[in-house]
Amino acid sequence: MPDLRRDFDSRDDLIAYCTEQFPESADVDDHVSDTLGGRHEAEAVLADVEPRAYAKTRNMLNGAVTGLSPYLHHGVLSLAEVRDDLLQRFGPQPCSKLINELAWRDYFRQAMAEIGEDVWQDREEYKTGWAAADYADELPPDIEQGETGIDFIDAMARELVETGYLHNQGRMKLASYLVHWRKVRWQAGAEWFLSHLLDGDAASNNLSWQWVASTFSHKPYLWNQGGLVFISDGRFTGNAHDGSSPFTGEVPEIAERLYP
Amino acid sequence: MSRSAVVWIHEEDLSPNSPALQAAGASTPAVFVIDTGWLRDERISLKRVVFMYECALELPVVIRKGDPPEVVSTFAQEHQADIILATATPDPRLRRQGDALQAEWIEPPPFVVLPKAPDLKRFSRYWRKAERKAFTPTENQ
Repeated sequence: MPDLRRDFDSRDDLIAYCTEQFPESADVDDHVSDTLGGRHEAEAVLADVEPRAYAKTRNMLNGAVTGLSPYLHHGVLSLAEVRDDLLQRFGPQPCSKLINELAWRDYFRQAMAEIGEDVWQDREEYKTGWAAADYADELPPDIEQGETGIDFIDAMARELVETGYLHNQGRMKLASYLVHWRKVRWQAGAEWFLSHLLDGDAASNNLSWQWVASTFSHKPYLWNQGGLVFISDGRFTGNAHDGSSPFTGEVPEIAERLYP
Repeated sequence: MSRSAVVWIHEEDLSPNSPALQAAGASTPAVFVIDTGWLRDERISLKRVVFMYECALELPVVIRKGDPPEVVSTFAQEHQADIILATATPDPRLRRQGDALQAEWIEPPPFVVLPKAPDLKRFSRYWRKAERKAFTPTENQ
Protein backbone atom coordinates (compact mmCIF):
# COMPACT_ATOMS: atom_id res chain seq x y z
CA MET A 1 0.00 0.00 0.00
CA PRO A 2 1.85 3.13 -1.16
CA ASP A 3 1.93 6.31 0.89
CA LEU A 4 -0.17 9.14 -0.42
CA ARG A 5 1.59 12.40 -1.30
CA ARG A 6 2.39 15.01 1.33
CA ASP A 7 4.01 17.63 -0.86
CA PHE A 8 1.79 19.94 -2.86
CA ASP A 9 2.63 23.10 -4.79
CA SER A 10 -0.73 24.67 -4.10
CA ARG A 11 -4.23 23.96 -2.86
CA ASP A 12 -5.29 23.37 -6.45
CA ASP A 13 -2.59 20.72 -6.71
CA LEU A 14 -3.97 19.02 -3.57
CA ILE A 15 -7.53 19.22 -4.88
CA ALA A 16 -6.52 17.68 -8.22
CA TYR A 17 -4.70 14.88 -6.39
CA CYS A 18 -7.70 14.17 -4.11
CA THR A 19 -9.99 14.11 -7.14
CA GLU A 20 -7.74 11.52 -8.77
CA GLN A 21 -7.26 9.41 -5.62
CA PHE A 22 -10.90 9.53 -4.47
CA PRO A 23 -12.98 9.51 -7.65
CA GLU A 24 -16.10 8.20 -5.89
CA SER A 25 -16.14 11.21 -3.58
CA ALA A 26 -15.66 13.54 -6.54
CA ASP A 27 -18.59 11.78 -8.22
CA VAL A 28 -20.84 12.44 -5.22
CA ASP A 29 -19.97 16.12 -5.54
CA ASP A 30 -16.75 17.88 -6.48
CA HIS A 31 -17.18 21.27 -4.87
CA VAL A 32 -14.40 22.28 -2.48
CA SER A 33 -15.00 24.51 0.53
CA ASP A 34 -13.21 27.79 1.14
CA THR A 35 -12.78 26.61 4.73
CA LEU A 36 -9.18 25.47 5.08
CA GLY A 37 -8.21 22.42 7.07
CA GLY A 38 -5.41 22.33 9.62
CA ARG A 39 -4.43 23.43 13.08
CA HIS A 40 -2.99 26.76 11.96
CA GLU A 41 -6.27 27.77 10.41
CA ALA A 42 -8.21 26.41 13.39
CA GLU A 43 -6.20 28.59 15.77
CA ALA A 44 -6.84 31.62 13.59
CA VAL A 45 -10.58 30.90 13.62
CA LEU A 46 -10.51 30.48 17.40
CA ALA A 47 -8.62 33.76 17.83
CA ASP A 48 -11.39 35.55 15.91
CA VAL A 49 -14.24 34.23 18.08
CA GLU A 50 -16.26 37.01 19.69
CA PRO A 51 -18.30 35.49 22.52
CA ARG A 52 -20.35 38.63 23.24
CA ALA A 53 -21.37 39.08 19.60
CA TYR A 54 -22.02 35.34 19.40
CA ALA A 55 -24.38 35.49 22.36
CA LYS A 56 -26.32 38.38 20.82
CA THR A 57 -26.48 37.45 17.16
CA ARG A 58 -25.88 33.71 16.77
CA ASN A 59 -29.47 32.93 15.75
CA MET A 60 -29.35 35.38 12.85
CA LEU A 61 -28.24 33.83 9.56
CA ASN A 62 -25.59 36.55 9.22
CA GLY A 63 -24.75 36.49 12.96
CA ALA A 64 -21.33 36.08 14.56
CA VAL A 65 -21.17 32.29 14.57
CA THR A 66 -17.76 30.82 15.25
CA GLY A 67 -17.05 28.45 12.35
CA LEU A 68 -15.30 26.16 14.83
CA SER A 69 -17.41 23.06 14.19
CA PRO A 70 -15.32 21.43 11.39
CA TYR A 71 -12.24 21.69 13.59
CA LEU A 72 -14.06 20.39 16.66
CA HIS A 73 -15.50 17.44 14.77
CA HIS A 74 -12.11 16.36 13.45
CA GLY A 75 -10.37 16.85 16.78
CA VAL A 76 -8.19 19.64 15.38
CA LEU A 77 -9.35 21.56 18.43
CA SER A 78 -10.89 19.84 21.46
CA LEU A 79 -13.94 21.12 23.30
CA ALA A 80 -11.84 21.38 26.46
CA GLU A 81 -9.12 23.48 24.86
CA VAL A 82 -11.61 25.84 23.21
CA ARG A 83 -13.38 26.29 26.55
CA ASP A 84 -10.07 26.87 28.36
CA ASP A 85 -8.97 29.42 25.77
CA LEU A 86 -12.26 31.33 25.96
CA LEU A 87 -12.29 31.41 29.75
CA GLN A 88 -8.75 32.68 29.82
CA ARG A 89 -9.37 35.46 27.33
CA PHE A 90 -12.86 36.58 28.29
CA GLY A 91 -13.80 35.09 31.68
CA PRO A 92 -16.95 33.03 32.23
CA GLN A 93 -19.77 35.56 31.91
CA PRO A 94 -19.39 36.69 28.27
CA CYS A 95 -18.86 33.05 27.25
CA SER A 96 -21.95 31.61 28.88
CA LYS A 97 -23.93 31.05 25.66
CA LEU A 98 -20.96 29.76 23.70
CA ILE A 99 -19.87 27.33 26.41
CA ASN A 100 -23.47 26.12 26.66
CA GLU A 101 -23.31 25.31 22.93
CA LEU A 102 -19.97 23.53 23.36
CA ALA A 103 -21.69 21.50 26.07
CA TRP A 104 -24.33 20.40 23.53
CA ARG A 105 -21.53 18.85 21.49
CA ASP A 106 -20.15 17.12 24.57
CA TYR A 107 -23.64 15.91 25.43
CA PHE A 108 -24.19 14.49 21.92
CA ARG A 109 -20.82 12.73 22.05
CA GLN A 110 -21.56 11.21 25.45
CA ALA A 111 -25.00 10.15 24.27
CA MET A 112 -23.51 8.51 21.20
CA ALA A 113 -20.99 6.61 23.32
CA GLU A 114 -24.01 5.15 25.10
CA ILE A 115 -26.15 4.62 22.00
CA GLY A 116 -23.45 3.20 19.70
CA GLU A 117 -24.59 1.83 16.33
CA ASP A 118 -28.21 2.58 17.25
CA VAL A 119 -27.56 6.25 16.50
CA TRP A 120 -29.27 5.55 13.15
CA GLN A 121 -32.42 4.18 14.86
CA ASP A 122 -35.32 6.28 16.12
CA ARG A 123 -34.64 6.85 19.82
CA GLU A 124 -38.36 7.25 20.54
CA GLU A 125 -41.67 7.38 18.66
CA TYR A 126 -42.49 10.44 16.55
CA LYS A 127 -44.71 12.83 18.54
CA THR A 128 -46.48 14.03 15.41
CA GLY A 129 -49.42 11.65 15.26
CA TRP A 130 -47.74 9.82 12.36
CA ALA A 131 -45.96 6.49 12.74
CA ALA A 132 -42.39 6.01 11.48
CA ALA A 133 -43.77 3.90 8.63
CA ASP A 134 -45.79 6.89 7.37
CA TYR A 135 -42.58 8.72 6.44
CA ALA A 136 -40.88 8.28 3.06
CA ASP A 137 -37.44 6.66 2.96
CA GLU A 138 -35.84 8.65 0.17
CA LEU A 139 -34.68 12.23 -0.10
CA PRO A 140 -36.89 13.96 -2.69
CA PRO A 141 -34.78 14.98 -5.72
CA ASP A 142 -36.17 18.52 -5.80
CA ILE A 143 -34.78 19.14 -2.33
CA GLU A 144 -31.40 17.56 -3.03
CA GLN A 145 -31.04 19.58 -6.22
CA GLY A 146 -32.27 22.82 -4.67
CA GLU A 147 -35.25 23.00 -7.03
CA THR A 148 -38.26 23.17 -4.75
CA GLY A 149 -38.91 26.75 -5.86
CA ILE A 150 -38.92 27.90 -2.22
CA ASP A 151 -36.20 30.54 -1.89
CA PHE A 152 -34.93 29.57 1.52
CA ILE A 153 -34.97 25.80 1.04
CA ASP A 154 -33.18 25.98 -2.30
CA ALA A 155 -30.57 28.43 -1.01
CA MET A 156 -29.79 26.20 1.97
CA ALA A 157 -29.55 23.07 -0.20
CA ARG A 158 -27.09 24.84 -2.51
CA GLU A 159 -25.06 26.25 0.37
CA LEU A 160 -24.78 22.81 1.95
CA VAL A 161 -23.44 21.24 -1.21
CA GLU A 162 -21.21 24.13 -2.30
CA THR A 163 -19.65 25.10 1.03
CA GLY A 164 -19.96 22.08 3.33
CA TYR A 165 -21.39 24.33 6.02
CA LEU A 166 -24.81 25.56 7.14
CA HIS A 167 -25.79 27.94 9.92
CA ASN A 168 -27.57 26.06 12.71
CA GLN A 169 -30.85 27.80 11.87
CA GLY A 170 -30.44 26.70 8.26
CA ARG A 171 -29.85 23.12 9.36
CA MET A 172 -32.80 23.00 11.73
CA LYS A 173 -35.27 24.65 9.39
CA LEU A 174 -34.20 22.60 6.39
CA ALA A 175 -34.42 19.44 8.51
CA SER A 176 -37.83 20.45 9.79
CA TYR A 177 -39.09 21.13 6.26
CA LEU A 178 -37.89 17.72 5.05
CA VAL A 179 -39.32 15.72 7.95
CA HIS A 180 -42.51 17.61 8.76
CA TRP A 181 -43.64 19.32 5.56
CA ARG A 182 -42.39 16.65 3.14
CA LYS A 183 -42.85 13.69 5.50
CA VAL A 184 -39.47 12.08 4.90
CA ARG A 185 -37.67 10.00 7.55
CA TRP A 186 -34.95 11.98 9.30
CA GLN A 187 -32.38 9.33 8.35
CA ALA A 188 -32.54 10.32 4.67
CA GLY A 189 -31.74 13.91 5.55
CA ALA A 190 -29.04 12.98 8.06
CA GLU A 191 -27.23 10.95 5.40
CA TRP A 192 -27.46 13.84 2.97
CA PHE A 193 -25.97 16.24 5.52
CA LEU A 194 -23.14 13.83 6.37
CA SER A 195 -22.16 13.62 2.70
CA HIS A 196 -21.47 17.33 2.66
CA LEU A 197 -20.97 18.93 6.07
CA LEU A 198 -17.30 19.40 6.92
CA ASP A 199 -18.34 19.00 10.55
CA GLY A 200 -20.63 16.05 9.87
CA ASP A 201 -20.52 13.56 12.69
CA ALA A 202 -23.14 11.03 13.58
CA ALA A 203 -23.43 12.36 17.14
CA SER A 204 -24.34 16.03 16.62
CA ASN A 205 -25.87 15.47 13.20
CA ASN A 206 -28.11 12.47 13.80
CA LEU A 207 -29.19 13.42 17.29
CA SER A 208 -30.05 16.95 16.12
CA TRP A 209 -32.11 15.48 13.27
CA GLN A 210 -33.86 13.29 15.82
CA TRP A 211 -34.46 16.34 17.99
CA VAL A 212 -36.11 18.12 15.06
CA ALA A 213 -38.09 15.00 14.10
CA SER A 214 -39.31 14.51 17.71
CA THR A 215 -37.77 11.06 18.08
CA PHE A 216 -35.32 12.56 20.59
CA SER A 217 -37.46 15.33 22.08
CA HIS A 218 -40.93 15.99 23.47
CA LYS A 219 -42.32 17.67 20.36
CA PRO A 220 -41.44 18.29 16.72
CA TYR A 221 -39.51 21.42 15.80
CA LEU A 222 -41.61 23.61 13.50
CA TRP A 223 -41.08 27.17 12.29
CA ASN A 224 -42.99 29.80 10.39
CA GLN A 225 -42.55 32.56 7.85
CA GLY A 226 -42.28 35.30 10.45
CA GLY A 227 -39.41 33.53 12.16
CA LEU A 228 -37.63 33.00 8.86
CA VAL A 229 -37.96 36.62 7.76
CA PHE A 230 -36.61 37.69 11.17
CA ILE A 231 -33.53 35.43 11.30
CA SER A 232 -32.67 36.20 7.69
CA ASP A 233 -33.18 39.96 8.04
CA GLY A 234 -35.66 39.80 5.20
CA ARG A 235 -33.34 37.93 2.82
CA PHE A 236 -35.82 35.05 2.60
CA THR A 237 -39.61 34.95 2.49
CA GLY A 238 -40.12 31.19 2.40
CA ASN A 239 -42.30 31.76 -0.64
CA ALA A 240 -42.43 29.57 -3.70
CA HIS A 241 -42.10 31.12 -7.17
CA ASP A 242 -45.88 31.57 -7.39
CA GLY A 243 -45.92 33.55 -4.16
CA SER A 244 -47.55 30.80 -2.09
CA SER A 245 -45.93 29.69 1.15
CA PRO A 246 -46.30 26.52 3.22
CA PHE A 247 -44.99 28.42 6.24
CA THR A 248 -47.76 30.95 6.87
CA GLY A 249 -49.59 31.20 10.19
CA GLU A 250 -48.53 30.53 13.74
CA VAL A 251 -46.73 27.31 14.62
CA PRO A 252 -49.78 25.68 16.31
CA GLU A 253 -51.84 26.31 13.14
CA ILE A 254 -49.08 24.80 11.03
CA ALA A 255 -49.04 21.74 13.31
CA GLU A 256 -52.80 21.39 12.75
CA ARG A 257 -52.27 21.44 9.00
CA LEU A 258 -49.42 18.95 9.04
CA TYR A 259 -50.47 16.35 11.58
CA PRO A 260 -53.51 14.07 11.89
CA MET B 1 6.75 4.47 25.37
CA SER B 2 7.83 1.20 23.83
CA ARG B 3 9.69 1.49 20.54
CA SER B 4 7.40 -1.20 19.19
CA ALA B 5 4.30 1.03 19.04
CA VAL B 6 2.62 2.81 16.15
CA VAL B 7 -0.14 5.41 16.25
CA TRP B 8 -3.36 5.17 14.26
CA ILE B 9 -4.69 8.65 13.58
CA HIS B 10 -8.38 8.52 12.68
CA GLU B 11 -10.72 11.20 11.33
CA GLU B 12 -11.64 12.55 14.77
CA ASP B 13 -8.03 12.97 15.82
CA LEU B 14 -6.52 15.29 13.23
CA SER B 15 -4.57 17.54 15.60
CA PRO B 16 -0.80 17.84 15.98
CA ASN B 17 -1.71 17.67 19.71
CA SER B 18 -3.46 14.32 19.26
CA PRO B 19 -3.66 12.54 22.61
CA ALA B 20 -2.43 9.31 20.99
CA LEU B 21 0.54 11.08 19.36
CA GLN B 22 1.42 12.75 22.64
CA ALA B 23 1.18 9.48 24.55
CA ALA B 24 3.37 7.72 21.99
CA GLY B 25 6.12 10.31 21.81
CA ALA B 26 7.55 12.16 18.84
CA SER B 27 9.55 9.35 17.27
CA THR B 28 6.68 6.86 17.08
CA PRO B 29 5.54 6.14 13.52
CA ALA B 30 1.98 7.26 12.86
CA VAL B 31 -0.46 6.66 10.02
CA PHE B 32 -3.68 8.37 8.96
CA VAL B 33 -5.86 6.17 6.78
CA ILE B 34 -8.54 7.68 4.57
CA ASP B 35 -11.28 5.08 4.87
CA THR B 36 -12.41 4.41 1.30
CA GLY B 37 -15.20 2.05 2.44
CA TRP B 38 -16.67 4.83 4.54
CA LEU B 39 -16.33 7.36 1.71
CA ARG B 40 -18.20 4.97 -0.57
CA ASP B 41 -20.88 3.74 1.87
CA GLU B 42 -21.76 7.17 3.25
CA ARG B 43 -21.23 9.01 -0.05
CA ILE B 44 -18.71 11.41 1.46
CA SER B 45 -18.16 14.26 -0.99
CA LEU B 46 -14.81 15.62 -2.16
CA LYS B 47 -14.85 18.76 -0.01
CA ARG B 48 -14.82 16.65 3.14
CA VAL B 49 -11.87 14.61 1.89
CA VAL B 50 -9.89 17.75 0.99
CA PHE B 51 -10.57 19.24 4.43
CA MET B 52 -9.38 16.09 6.23
CA TYR B 53 -6.35 15.83 3.98
CA GLU B 54 -5.37 19.44 4.71
CA CYS B 55 -5.67 18.76 8.43
CA ALA B 56 -3.52 15.63 8.15
CA LEU B 57 -0.77 17.52 6.29
CA GLU B 58 0.03 19.39 9.53
CA LEU B 59 0.60 16.14 11.42
CA PRO B 60 3.77 14.01 11.47
CA VAL B 61 2.01 11.11 9.80
CA VAL B 62 2.13 8.86 6.79
CA ILE B 63 -1.12 9.16 4.81
CA ARG B 64 -2.62 6.08 3.19
CA LYS B 65 -6.02 5.00 1.95
CA GLY B 66 -8.04 1.81 2.20
CA ASP B 67 -9.59 -0.22 4.99
CA PRO B 68 -8.19 1.16 8.27
CA PRO B 69 -7.83 -2.15 10.16
CA GLU B 70 -6.00 -3.68 7.20
CA VAL B 71 -3.80 -0.69 6.45
CA VAL B 72 -2.88 0.00 10.08
CA SER B 73 -2.12 -3.65 10.68
CA THR B 74 0.26 -3.67 7.68
CA PHE B 75 1.83 -0.42 8.89
CA ALA B 76 2.41 -1.95 12.34
CA GLN B 77 4.07 -5.00 10.75
CA GLU B 78 6.33 -2.76 8.66
CA HIS B 79 7.56 -1.20 11.90
CA GLN B 80 7.64 -4.48 13.84
CA ALA B 81 5.21 -2.92 16.25
CA ASP B 82 2.97 -4.90 18.55
CA ILE B 83 1.15 -1.97 20.12
CA ILE B 84 -1.28 0.31 18.29
CA LEU B 85 -2.29 3.52 20.02
CA ALA B 86 -5.36 5.53 19.06
CA THR B 87 -7.30 8.40 20.61
CA ALA B 88 -10.59 7.26 22.14
CA THR B 89 -13.78 8.27 20.30
CA PRO B 90 -17.50 7.58 20.71
CA ASP B 91 -17.94 7.03 16.96
CA PRO B 92 -19.22 3.46 16.50
CA ARG B 93 -17.37 2.79 13.23
CA LEU B 94 -14.02 4.02 14.56
CA ARG B 95 -14.50 2.07 17.77
CA ARG B 96 -15.23 -1.09 15.82
CA GLN B 97 -12.13 -0.59 13.70
CA GLY B 98 -9.92 0.17 16.69
CA ASP B 99 -11.23 -2.84 18.56
CA ALA B 100 -10.50 -5.03 15.51
CA LEU B 101 -6.91 -3.75 15.73
CA GLN B 102 -6.86 -4.30 19.49
CA ALA B 103 -5.82 -0.67 19.74
CA GLU B 104 -4.98 0.84 23.08
CA TRP B 105 -7.40 3.74 23.44
CA ILE B 106 -5.93 6.96 24.81
CA GLU B 107 -8.60 9.11 26.47
CA PRO B 108 -8.52 12.81 25.53
CA PRO B 109 -8.96 15.37 28.31
CA PRO B 110 -12.70 15.38 29.03
CA PHE B 111 -14.83 18.53 28.70
CA VAL B 112 -16.33 17.91 32.13
CA VAL B 113 -15.33 15.47 34.87
CA LEU B 114 -18.45 14.39 36.73
CA PRO B 115 -18.69 12.23 39.85
CA LYS B 116 -21.06 9.87 38.11
CA ALA B 117 -22.38 9.41 34.59
CA PRO B 118 -25.17 11.91 33.87
CA ASP B 119 -28.64 10.97 32.62
CA LEU B 120 -28.39 11.54 28.87
CA LYS B 121 -32.04 11.21 27.90
CA ARG B 122 -32.34 14.99 27.53
CA PHE B 123 -29.76 17.78 27.37
CA SER B 124 -31.43 19.58 30.31
CA ARG B 125 -30.68 16.65 32.63
CA TYR B 126 -27.04 16.53 31.53
CA TRP B 127 -26.73 20.32 31.87
CA ARG B 128 -27.99 20.37 35.45
CA LYS B 129 -25.08 18.11 36.41
CA ALA B 130 -22.46 19.50 34.03
CA GLU B 131 -23.00 23.28 34.04
CA ARG B 132 -20.60 24.19 36.82
CA LYS B 133 -17.84 21.98 35.42
CA ALA B 134 -18.38 23.32 31.91
CA PHE B 135 -17.14 26.69 33.18
CA THR B 136 -14.17 25.14 35.01
CA PRO B 137 -10.79 25.08 33.21
CA THR B 138 -9.37 21.64 32.46
CA GLU B 139 -6.59 22.02 35.04
CA ASN B 140 -9.18 22.44 37.83
CA GLN B 141 -11.58 19.72 36.69
